[in-house]
Amino acid sequence: MANSLAREFTKGLWQEIPPFRLVLGLCPTLAVTNSAINGLAMGMATIFVLFFSNVLVSFIRRTISSQVRIPAYVVIIATLVTVADMFLAAVFPQISKALGPYIPLIVVNCIILGRAEAFAQKNSVLPTAADTLGIGTGFILSLTLMGGIREVLGFGSIFGVKLLGEWFEPWIIMILPAGAFLVFGGLVALVNYISSRKAAKAAEAAQAAHGM
Amino acid sequence: MFETLIISAISMGAIGAVLAGFLVFADKKLKVEEDPRIEAIANVLPSSNCGGCGYPGCRSFAEALMKGEASPAACVAGGNETAVQIASILGVEAGSVKRMLAVVLCKGGNAEAGRTASYKGEMTCTADHLIGGDKGCTYGCLGLGECVDACKFDAMAMNENGLPVVFYDKCVGCGACARACPRNIIEMHPEDHKLFVYCRSRDKGAYARKVCKVSCIACGLCVKDCSVPGGIALKDNLAVVNHALAPQNDESIKRCPTKCILYDVEESVTRDAYLSSLAKGPGK
Amino acid sequence: MELILIFISAALVNNFVLAYFLGICPFVGVSNKTENALNMGLATTFVMTLTAAATWPIYYYILVPFNVPFLQYVAFIIIIAALVQFVEMYIRKASPSLYRALGIFLPLITTNCAVLGLALFMVLREYGFIESIIFGFATGVGFTLAIVMMSGIREELEFADIPKPFQGVSITLIIAGMMALAFMGFAGLIRG
Repeated sequence: MANSLAREFTKGLWQEIPPFRLVLGLCPTLAVTNSAINGLAMGMATIFVLFFSNVLVSFIRRTISSQVRIPAYVVIIATLVTVADMFLAAVFPQISKALGPYIPLIVVNCIILGRAEAFAQKNSVLPTAADTLGIGTGFILSLTLMGGIREVLGFGSIFGVKLLGEWFEPWIIMILPAGAFLVFGGLVALVNYISSRKAAKAAEAAQAAHGM
Repeated sequence: MFETLIISAISMGAIGAVLAGFLVFADKKLKVEEDPRIEAIANVLPSSNCGGCGYPGCRSFAEALMKGEASPAACVAGGNETAVQIASILGVEAGSVKRMLAVVLCKGGNAEAGRTASYKGEMTCTADHLIGGDKGCTYGCLGLGECVDACKFDAMAMNENGLPVVFYDKCVGCGACARACPRNIIEMHPEDHKLFVYCRSRDKGAYARKVCKVSCIACGLCVKDCSVPGGIALKDNLAVVNHALAPQNDESIKRCPTKCILYDVEESVTRDAYLSSLAKGPGK
Repeated sequence: MELILIFISAALVNNFVLAYFLGICPFVGVSNKTENALNMGLATTFVMTLTAAATWPIYYYILVPFNVPFLQYVAFIIIIAALVQFVEMYIRKASPSLYRALGIFLPLITTNCAVLGLALFMVLREYGFIESIIFGFATGVGFTLAIVMMSGIREELEFADIPKPFQGVSITLIIAGMMALAFMGFAGLIRG
């Protein structure tokens, strides 16, 4: 039991890591990763909504009829997002301002609705919890990574701490939308490359094992 | 605070109820009346949308069947089974589906018919053919696989010699490959046709021989040897089999100098047999 | 005059896809064939214009007077979901061939961030009713423009020799980055 829970968790960290392999949730990835702290905050907000909404959906999955399930999920998600938005506005006002309208857009983040449709409505609470925690953690890592790259190249700092000295001329494009697309495209290519190398190694190992 | 709770619940509940009511009303008003038989027919069709019936997609074929414009036997991909099922839904005669198979009428691959140019353009046969093709023979197979791509039934593959192989256990006779080939090298024939001239070249014999080792040089020996007069005829420097007349035997193929006319060729390869022969490697 | 400014700003200068990253999922997912892209864009524009018209009165005549503006996320998404469902029913009745062409894309418009984003921006910028409708239409036009351009480029890319790791999503995003760069040229078109 624990083994399969662990597997549900880890698959969100590499095989199905959003947004690089599970191509969902692209809008917040591109929009708020202009600095590492913004990326991290958005990831935290998303995992909050993802976890609670999917666990709730999994809890009530037997009681909701199939025709109204989408509106039901969407209302649950919207309510949780409202809570998250108010929380951020009250406790971390600068971040709330920086993330702006992208927090409410978590409502239509395809990851949340997608996982609810694909996983939560068919599985019980514990596996769902493990799955969402895994995917959410993967998402946080990806966002922070992208935010970090864009911040280092665009500001010369990381998490607000100046990293590169005066000699560095910041690449303004990294902070602009164009830079977001380019960095994301590059990272997807990198992830594809790493997974194809892994697959090739695994295939070689399998062939060697079969004595072909 | 309690007041906010009540107002929130009521307002959201009200909006939800109004919208739900609106949708229910719209559903009744915008109901699409569809004969349930179309759905039943669409379900028995293979859903491959191959166009073999002559209609753009299985759904259109189902609608045409309903209107009585099409015959159940037109679905070549589904074959006789499907025709019978359609007939039972509609209550009409099934007709019989004549199984057609694709025949590739060129044996001039990379080994037999050499390339005279190095083509680096768009890797499709149509594009290559548009500029005249990169082979010496301007009628022969270009080997870029547009036919293989067109096949929706996994019934074709390109072999190492640059010629397409048809898997007769998978081919349903929809004709997509024949339509895709820009040089009209593929023809659709019923199973019982076995005698074919595997060449399309209209070049004069001497030139044809120069550009391809297995081309038809229109020597006329097969015409003479054919047991039925007129079973094979020469037209435009090419021997052509008249399938209506010609006996499906191998008398006429005995004297062909280039071995381009063949009878019952070992083309009835199944997909699995082909793939395992590849795995065994060359020189099997 | 102001309406024209709103239109040009929303469609070109501050294009929803290329400047605000809204509607990226369909932008990347549906842009492989121009026909699909155009259908998706037009359907989305239609839904967006209707959304603006439907959400504005709900916000200003129900949520604000009753002092519950924080319910906007829930209210807007319910309205959008209902609208998309209605549009799907209507298209199915009115034009079966269009319905078949759009297929799976229609329900997907519900989760298109551009639609919800449009409603949120409308509230943030405090547009009036007519302005909101123009805004909704303009953002739809901008989205359609971006997605059709992307599909044209991707169709050309089919014949290019793209290195394996970059194929698919990656090259699409890099192209989008270049498009975003190009659209930056529109900045300064609107003074002030």
